[in-house]
Amino acid sequence: MMAYGTGGIALAGASLQVPSIDEFLPPEILFQGTPFAINRIILVRIVATVIMLLVLGITAHRAKVVPGRWQGAVEWLLEFVRDNIVYQVMGELRGRRYVPMITTMFMTILVFNLCGIIPGMNIAATATITVPLLLALWTFVQYWAATFRGKGFLTYLREEMFPAGVPWPIYFILAPMQLLDIVVIRPFSLTIRLFANMISGHILVALCFAATQFFLIDVENKALMGFGVVTFVGGFVMTLFEAFVAAIQAFIFATLSTVYINLSYPED
Amino acid sequence: MDIITLAEVAGNISTIGYGLAAIGPGIGIGIVFGKAIEATARQPELSGRIQVLMWLGFGLIEILALLGFISYFIFS
Amino acid sequence: MDTIAASGIRLFLPETYDVVWSLIILVIIALFFYRFFLPKFQSVFDERAAKIEGGMANAEKAQKAADEAKRHYEEQLSQARVDAAKIRDDARAEASHIIADARSRAETEAAQITSNAQRSIASQQQQALVSLRGEVGTLATALAGKILGSKLADDEVQSSMIDQMIEELEPSKDGKSS
Repeated sequence: MMAYGTGGIALAGASLQVPSIDEFLPPEILFQGTPFAINRIILVRIVATVIMLLVLGITAHRAKVVPGRWQGAVEWLLEFVRDNIVYQVMGELRGRRYVPMITTMFMTILVFNLCGIIPGMNIAATATITVPLLLALWTFVQYWAATFRGKGFLTYLREEMFPAGVPWPIYFILAPMQLLDIVVIRPFSLTIRLFANMISGHILVALCFAATQFFLIDVENKALMGFGVVTFVGGFVMTLFEAFVAAIQAFIFATLSTVYINLSYPED
Repeated sequence: MDIITLAEVAGNISTIGYGLAAIGPGIGIGIVFGKAIEATARQPELSGRIQVLMWLGFGLIEILALLGFISYFIFS
Repeated sequence: MDTIAASGIRLFLPETYDVVWSLIILVIIALFFYRFFLPKFQSVFDERAAKIEGGMANAEKAQKAADEAKRHYEEQLSQARVDAAKIRDDARAEASHIIADARSRAETEAAQITSNAQRSIASQQQQALVSLRGEVGTLATALAGKILGSKLADDEVQSSMIDQMIEELEPSKDGKSS
């Protein structure tokens, strides 16, 4: 079955161990106590980064005008991000300067999310709050910076806090809420969405396989083995679902970032 | 088990809380996807734009369910 | 459950080392994408677009050249047609000219021949007339001599002499008419 290295699933005895929160807070294994301490998730992240940079770097190095099958797939991904996310939301003229940023975000999140279903890694590299938070802060900085280039800072604030077509007493409630929205809720909702998805996905998959382990192998009463088969199929389906969620979350993160940045520009 | 306790449920009440928190987003996501299908059926040529909007709405609703999910960790 | 309760909130408090490593990794990835990966693929896309456009331009040029050649050939063809028509017209004109020439020459010759013939006829007639006149004179003189010679004899002689004369004349007349 699957090995959860430092996680909380100790399959000793015949008790069903539910996956615990400690899997997302693994102990430091290198450089303990320094700012450069490395734990299991960070190790996964570094490995994923190295693999991604190697694969994409070799692809780019060998890139030809007439693409092969793999290069075609990579190009399809790049063109999907460029056309279906950035240009679709922003239009080509405005979107061009944000294509590298959104592409970086999309690819990073996609690869990091997919680590969650790769055997041996088994935990998404985005499953600590830091990576989603940093990416969200990047979006945050970009959409505030874009106000100066687009609508202008004060116009942006006014239009966001006092949207037109609302009776004035409502503004007393609406304005603080909108301010809270653009300052706190937008970046944190981006963070939480990605992070919580990864946590819940990992817990679901781990629970299914832990139960399979328990019912198929550990338990003495063999009458429960049928239930183990069900949980194994459940774990299989959940793994596929995680792959789907990994792609969807990367897409949603990239799209929402683009939309938030686009709101800083005047309507055209 | 003493005489007053007739039935006992072990576990955490947060589970029920999350179940309650998932009702609203569940309905919302159903509406989002249903309406997106409806809109695509009416105007198939706009399906790309509709899908982007659909996933946006899905993301915004999903965060509500996820807030219920993380509040278990935060407040426990 | 106690450990979960104790550490639940810790999930949302980023550790320093986590931030450090995430930042390092994200900066590396962003640099990779901004500096190497996307420009490289952009250049590939541009090159491909240029190739396709170049191919299209080449095709257009070839098309234009073909059109030019076709136009050229058509021009030549029509020129040739015009030339042929001209040559044919010329030939026809020349032929009619030759025919007219020949006809006029033939007519002239015919007229000449006719006039020659008429002249020779006229001269022969003249000759015949002259010789006839001479013969008739001689004949008349001879006749007159014979008449005068036998006048005195009798009338019978006279008339027999005339008859004889006429008979002498007659065979030549019969020969002519037969």
